[in-house]
This record gives sequence, C-alpha cells and structure tokens, in this order.
Amino acid sequence: MKVKIGIFLCDCGGSLKNIDFPEISRSVQEIEDIAFVDISHNLCLEEGRKAIASRILGKNVNRVVIAACSPASCEHNFIRLLEGLNFNPNLLSIANIREQCSWAHEGNVTGKALDLVGMAINKARLLQPVERKEIPVNKEVLVVGGGFCGMKSALELSQLGIRTTVVEREPILGGRLSELEGFYGFEISPKEMLSSMGEEVKKDANIEMLTSAEITRVEGDAGNFSVRIKRGVKEDSRDFGALIFATGCKAEILPRYFELSPGSKIISQRELVEILQAPAKLERRPEVIGFILDIADENSRLPSLLALNAALAVKNKLGSEVYVFCKNLKVDSEGVEKLYQEARNRGVVFVKFEEKPRISERNGRVKVEAEDILFGEEVSVYCDFLVAEEKGLPSEGTEALASILNTGVDSQGFCQDENVYLYPVGSGRKGVFFVGACRGNLDAARASLDVGSAVMNVYELLALGKAVVEVEKVKVDPQKCRACLTCIRVCPHRAIRLVKVDDEKWTAKIYDLACDGCGICAAICPAKAINFEGYADEQILAEVEAMEWQYGRE
Amino acid sequence: MSRFLPKSKRWNGSMGGNNKIVAFCCENSAYLAADRAGKMRLHYPDNVRIIRVPCAGRVDVLHILRAFEKGAAGVLVMGCQEGACQHLTGNIRARERVRYIESALKEIGIDTRRVKMVNLGPDMAQKFVREVKEMVEKIEEE
Amino acid sequence: MELANSGLEVYLVEKEAAIGGQAASFCCKATDVCTKCSFCLVPQKLNDVATHPRISVLTNSVVTRVTGKVGNFRVEIWQKPQYVSQEKCIACGICAEVCPTKPKAIHSPSPEAIPYSYIIDQSQCLHLKGEKCNFCEEICPTKAIALGRRPESWELDVGTIIVATGFEVFNAREVGSLGYGRYPNVLTGLDLERIFAHKGSLELPSNGKEAKKVAFVQCVGSRNENHGYCSQVCCKYAMRFARLIKYQNPDAEVTIFYIDLQTAGKGFAQFYEECRESIRFIRGVPVEILEGSSDGLKLRFEDISEGKVERETFDLVVLSIGMVPRKDSWDLARVLGINLGDYGFFGTRSLIDSNKTNVDGVFLAGTCQGPKDIPDSIAHGISAAEKARELLKG
Repeated sequence: MKVKIGIFLCDCGGSLKNIDFPEISRSVQEIEDIAFVDISHNLCLEEGRKAIASRILGKNVNRVVIAACSPASCEHNFIRLLEGLNFNPNLLSIANIREQCSWAHEGNVTGKALDLVGMAINKARLLQPVERKEIPVNKEVLVVGGGFCGMKSALELSQLGIRTTVVEREPILGGRLSELEGFYGFEISPKEMLSSMGEEVKKDANIEMLTSAEITRVEGDAGNFSVRIKRGVKEDSRDFGALIFATGCKAEILPRYFELSPGSKIISQRELVEILQAPAKLERRPEVIGFILDIADENSRLPSLLALNAALAVKNKLGSEVYVFCKNLKVDSEGVEKLYQEARNRGVVFVKFEEKPRISERNGRVKVEAEDILFGEEVSVYCDFLVAEEKGLPSEGTEALASILNTGVDSQGFCQDENVYLYPVGSGRKGVFFVGACRGNLDAARASLDVGSAVMNVYELLALGKAVVEVEKVKVDPQKCRACLTCIRVCPHRAIRLVKVDDEKWTAKIYDLACDGCGICAAICPAKAINFEGYADEQILAEVEAMEWQYGRE
Repeated sequence: MSRFLPKSKRWNGSMGGNNKIVAFCCENSAYLAADRAGKMRLHYPDNVRIIRVPCAGRVDVLHILRAFEKGAAGVLVMGCQEGACQHLTGNIRARERVRYIESALKEIGIDTRRVKMVNLGPDMAQKFVREVKEMVEKIEEE
Repeated sequence: MELANSGLEVYLVEKEAAIGGQAASFCCKATDVCTKCSFCLVPQKLNDVATHPRISVLTNSVVTRVTGKVGNFRVEIWQKPQYVSQEKCIACGICAEVCPTKPKAIHSPSPEAIPYSYIIDQSQCLHLKGEKCNFCEEICPTKAIALGRRPESWELDVGTIIVATGFEVFNAREVGSLGYGRYPNVLTGLDLERIFAHKGSLELPSNGKEAKKVAFVQCVGSRNENHGYCSQVCCKYAMRFARLIKYQNPDAEVTIFYIDLQTAGKGFAQFYEECRESIRFIRGVPVEILEGSSDGLKLRFEDISEGKVERETFDLVVLSIGMVPRKDSWDLARVLGINLGDYGFFGTRSLIDSNKTNVDGVFLAGTCQGPKDIPDSIAHGISAAEKARELLKG
C-alpha cells in the first residue's frame, strides 16, 4: 500500500516567530507522498485535535507527522487522539520544533525546522503499525521466604484477593526476627508477632505454605513464570504470575574482629536474649553489659538498632550498667533518635570512639579500652558481657538465587543492583521483586514499606488477570537468528528466551510483557535479526539521512 | 575542511559547508535536558540535529557511521549518568560503541574528537549546551 | 500511579501551581558516575502522573472540608482563581512579551513545572493590584487568560484519601548565630539544590567567584529539642554536594562538620569511603559564625577529636537543614480529623504500619509522615496505595 503522509505544523499560538511556517509548508508540499500540510496554532488543544481528527477521518493518510512542541509533553495526547480515531499510534512521528529549535536558537531557524520535519517524514515513511492486545496472566504469586516480609507479603496479597504460595527453606516459618525478644519498630515482641502471623498464614485459604522447600529453577517471564520447587527428594514445576523474594539476611559476628573462645564473655544478640529471658540461670546478676558497634561495618543500620533496643531491655530487666561503644550511631530511621535519648535518660552511657577500641579478656570479664572522644579521655570498662556487633549479611544462597534469577546483586552482596531506577523493590526483571532484608533494608520499618510496594506492584500487574501489550514491537526474525544467545545474555530485563520453532530451529524470542523497549538487543544482534518497531535501524538511519536534504535551497 | 575528507573516500551528499552535528539523545536524560535548555532559553548553535532514542544503548555503530557518511561533522551520543541507566547497562554499551567508532575514525584519518559520549542527568541543561558548543567549536577549528 | 494503573480514578489535589513538591526542584548530583541521589526518578514519575488518563490533577487547590467516612468521603475543594487556565495555556509566551511590568508579572514557570503553564505574580500584576491593564488577556491566542476569574469550589466523592503533602525545610534563620539571611555566603542545602538545577555550577553569592573553602554544617534543625529526630537525608546530600563541588573545582577544600555520620543505605558505603579521601570530616558542629575578614566566614567550633575549640575561615558555609512538618499540617489535620504525631508530622498507627492514620480510609504517603529520602518516599507512597486499594476492592 502506498504511503501517504499527513503533516501538521503547529506554530504555538503564532509565537514561534523565528520559523517561517509557510516556507516549510511550501518546501514540503513538493514531496510526492505528502498528502497535505496543515498549519495550526494549537494542535494540543480542542481546536487542533478536531482539525487532526477531521483530516484523518477524511483523507486517506496512513502516516502522520506532527511538528510541534516536545513529544515528551505532547506525545501522549496525540497517541490517545489517534487511538480514539482507530489510527495506529505507532504511525506517528513527531518533530520537536519548539523546545529544541525555536526556543533554543536565536535568529531564523527555518532551515533547521525544515530539517527536523524532513527527518520526521523520512522516518514516518518506514513506520509500521503495532497492535495492542490483551494477554492472559497467571494471577498466582510465589513468595520465597517465610519470615516477616514473606508472611506479610502473603497476608497482604490475600487481602487483595490474590492467592500465594510461600516457600520456606526451614521447617518452620518465622525467619530471623522470630529469635528476637524485642526489636526496633515492634510494639510486641517479634517472637510473638511472628508466631501470630504464622497462625494467620496457616488459616488463610488464599495462602499455601511449603516448608522445607527451595526453588531450583525459574523460567519464563512476567505473567508466566515456571518455577521448580524442590521439597526433599521431590521436585515439581509450578506456574506463577509474579515472584516476591523475601529471603532475609543473616546477622553474624565476624570472628576476626572479636576473640571468640568457648565460655567467652563476648556474646551474640541471641545469647543476650537467652540471658534476658532467664536471668536467674546466671550465677550472679551482670553488673556491666557493654555493646560494641562500628568495628566490622561502619555503614550499617542494623547494629545500632539492635544495640539501642537491647540496651533498654537490659536496663529494664537487669538494671545493669550499660555502655555502648560506637563510632557513628545510625539514627536515620524513624523514632531512633527518640530511642537514643531515652537510653541516655535511663543512664546508658554512649562512648564514641574514632579509633578501634582494644578488647581483651581479664579475670573472666571483658575489658574494653577506648578513647572517648567526647571527653577526650581513655576509658576502660570491665564488662561482664560484651555484646558484639553483628554484621547484616546476605542470607546463605543469595548468590545462587541471583544466578537462578539472572538478576544482579549490590556491592555488599544483597539482592538488587544499585540502580535507582530499580528502587524500591524492582529487580530489572518485570514481575520479580525483592523486599526487606534480602535487598539490604535491615530495619523492619523500611522492610514493611517494601512489602507494601511489592504487593501493590504485583496487584497492578496481575489483578485483572490480563495485561495489555504491544504485540511484537521488538521482534526477532527466526530466519535471520543464529541462536548465538547474545541478545539473551545482554537483555537487562531478561525478556528474551531461546525457543524452538517448527520442531527444528532454535531462535531467540522476545516476550512482550517483559520487554521494556530499550533496544539494546536490536543494537547488539550480530545478524541484525531484531526489529524494533519505531526505532528500527532503517528508521533511525532514515532520520540520519534526512540531514543531507537541501529542499531547493542552494 | 582539509582533514574532513579522508584520502580514499569521497563524501556523497556534497555537503560543502555541512557543519551539522547529530546528537543521539536518550529519552530519559539527554532529550529532557535539551528540552529544559529550550525552556530556559539557553541558546546554542543551530547545527545540532537531535535524534530521540529510548536508550543510548539503542545507538548502533552503524548509525554513527552513517551520520559521518552523510556528511555530519560531529556526532554526540548522549545518555544517562553511569549507574543511572533505566535499562541498567545501556549507557555502558553506548560508550563501548563510541570507543569503537573513535578507533575506526582514527584508522581512516578523521579527528577522533568528532565523536563523543556524554553522560548527563535530565536536569542538566547547562551541560547539554556546553557539550554542543564544545563540539561545534571543535568542528569549526578545521 | 499504582492506583490508577489498577483501575481506579484518582484525583490529585495540589496546593501549588505545579506538582512535584520540593523534590522537583532538586538537581542531579552525579560527578562522573551516578551518586544515587534519586532525583532523576522525579521528573519521570511526574510525567507519568500528568499523562495518565485516570488521574485528574487539580492544581492551586486545597481541601477545605471532608465529611463522610471510608468508602464514601465527600471532599470539598477550593481552587485559587485560575487567571491562567492550565488546560488552555500552551506556554507560547506571547503574554509575557506584552506584559508592561518589570519584572514581568506573567512569566514562565520553573522549567521542571508540570503542568508547564504561565503564572501570574499577583504582587506585580497591575490588573490584580487594581490598575487598568489586560494586555495579556487580549493577546492570548488560546484565550487562556481571564483576569476576572474567581476562586472555584469543587466537590468530590471518593472512597479513600491519601495525604502526601510533603515537608518544609527547617527555617535556618531560626538559628541566628549561623547567619543565614545575614551573610550572603551562607546557604542551605535546599539553596544548593536550586542553584545546581538552575545554573549547573556553584558560585559565591557575594562575588560570583568559585568557592575555594566550603563548610557543611550538619544537623541544623534536627536532633535537637524541638526536632528530636534525624532528617535522614542531610548527611548523604552533604556528601554528594561535597563531591560535586570538588568534581567541578578540584582545588576546593570541603569540610563536613557532623555529630554522627549517617552512612547506612544501599550502596552508600563505597561512596563514603571515596569521600574520606577528598573531604575533611570533623566531628563537632559549629554553633556560630563570627564576623570574619573581608570575604570570609569565620566558624567557631569544637573539634571533638582534638578536644579543642577552633576557629577557621571559609568562603561558603552550607547549612544542612532538615525536614520539618508543614505549617499548614495543622489545618489539614483538623479538616481530615487525623492526629498529628511526634514533632508535628502526621501520626500513624505504628512504625511498621506507617501509612494508616487514626481515621479509617485516610492514609499517609511520604515525608508528611516523617522525614524520608526519595526512594523511601516512593516506597511509602506505593505502600499507601496498597492500603487504599485493599479498601476499595471491586
């Protein structure tokens, strides 16, 4: 079918005075496949839109070029207009003659405007329609991890009417927080809270629990994941529409910073919890308990939160003297400054150091020598127990998980690349989310927000049971594809898979819902087998080539 | 323009005085920065022709070479800051391709400063203008 | 966005003429790599919101009355007179060309403004001051201007309400001894955002030269009696600005005076390590600026590590101000029936359930509930959307 292009020029209320619109119209009219050139004062308003509508419904044009303000602001308007007129919006090409031409330069810019219109025309000639279609999506969600975040995700999804399966590696639900008696952000003990969440999860008809289970393989993409779940010796494949990973973290005392020997008085948080739960078991009430932070990792919130909480618990239950040795107390979470002040008011002594304190064991007690910079003096404190800093680390198996999912990890090994476009809970891979400690949010307040965000994003994606996609906007030509796997490896959104066609040929296939339209695959394909409609090689080259046109000037 | 024509090839399109610069601009950063420059009425030379791309990573070596072939005096590839690409690796790919072009230009005897990779944020109107002006100065040196 | 995408109609009521709040006026703080300041997320989100078919944006509007209850709220909205109709204004600028005042009473908005419509400054406009003038009205090609417009009221029936009114910055003038407003070369963190966003580089306000010695003073307006919280963003933005300043002017000397350096957060550890190589960190926050020599600002501070009181002169002092609740929170709280929490931010049920208020169906999103950085604000907002969605199923 012959290409017929309709051109609309907008002079923005007549204000683009450094462009000679009639001149552009005259020059462009001469081109053979141009059906008409209209000049308008305000294409974006009612009047202009009506003019476009009547032209489109009237004359048989099959491509539209609009020369107006930046597509960044007006594109959506025109797309909607064209959709309403049953004209495929992919057949529209916009030239930015306002922000990037008239407003950007002094003097007469008719020449440049003509070039820009020419570029848009050249591209428009090659545009092809892209259909929009609804595709079904699987409404079930997989939650990996049965701790605070995992259970919360499942419960909130259930509230929204979505069925989930929770896969937990351990034989029981609860995760790391269930070991703690008290933790920043929890009004009741985490142990209690997690236990009651576990009960709720068991009773919830929308939630299926699979304990002592692990995932071994994830295939597919948004709306259509296929996951292999291993339980004991059995391995099953299950299908899900979206995946939420709440695999938590582990908190470890790094031995090289502390001398840990049997019977050591340098203890972990968990051991402190045991002491606090059964103080009578000790020979005598500990007189002095110390906490030490910022030795293994200066840049984590977790030790500060754990220490503040525990320090107050010690004061309440044991009445011991409490010293907290730290370099920079991390108070950048809600309510923590308040907790800090409360601790100080209750008599907890904070010793701030610049240089690492010296820790040694003397006569069954732990001696901490530090230079207290606030007072400028050396202090030596003999503690009955020294609670060591615990570094939040990615859970066992996080690296393996990242490779199963083909997603990245950050510089500390936690899930999710450090790219702000992924925040808060994205993975780069549509339909796959990371929440809470597994992505480095080790405090429960931020972890809660992660859960809320992921649940909402999942709901957006799956609730209707279908999703609208642009069909084959980016498409691999199986004839040209040599199955070199380059595009598959390179796609940042993991939207490409290797499939067999006609029972014999392997080819790459791009999945529309997962594709984010970056075009990296199209650029990298050595066989030039990938066509990205709207930004295809020929279409971009057409814009480049239009630069050399002369339009009858000398 | 003595160094403009390589020894073995003739440019078609007979630009004669073509001093056009093609700027491939990523729609998340550079394209918005250019719009912002316009809104702020920051003026820059009108030689530049902006081509909008969804990601700097879409820009292929082929596109850059064709621009030179068709008479462009300079090519800018403008994308997001390193580490801030919405598509994670697009700007890195673009940079690699620009490097490749630099070595290709060197081989056919063209000043490698005629192609440049620029990273910026969507609000950096001044940087956009500065880079364009710099490129124009470079090509006018000839 | 998320609510609209999931099929609901959303009304976005914005007090100012443009959406985006404080963050829209910020700047990208990359040096030659991204420093994760997250500002670039903002223009994208604003554009998505402005162009979404199910989101109606009402600017220059405030909520004056709310009746009813969850599922069935009736919200009364008062909109300032729309002298320039945002629906009709195409930002052609012809009005500004004919405006007789200096500076122009009608002018373009900030470049990041969405909607991008011209604005009338009532203090400059001759007509609005009672004189005879309507050049702009007559010449506007789309008849977008009507200087006789009155305020309007609207009534909306909605199922839930989400409060996302943001924050104000601490007024640095309250700390008289730090000289903000008295010395031209004392700026706040917010000033710096705007300077970089509009000029792209930093010059001394007093003489336009490059700043050679810069001091950042942390915790101005935070972690004190009236504001017993950490504003969470200041240490990070100070470090990012410090790096940006040094990137643009490698000879500059930058010092950050702090109490406890907040360096936690995804990916920040490495950035901090790099900062330590080029930025001077001094524990001990200065309390006053003394009258200095010709162009200098003399800071008096206690260098806690050294244990001495020192004086040092800087060209430029940046006060890292924190976030405080908006002064109009009180009004809004009254209208909605929600409680104010600690320090005047809106109150929530608990730390791990921080979107809910004491009123069913009214939720909080973002910094109006308490200080947060941009990614956390986004997470808080999406979480609020989720809580709202739960109530409006079906």
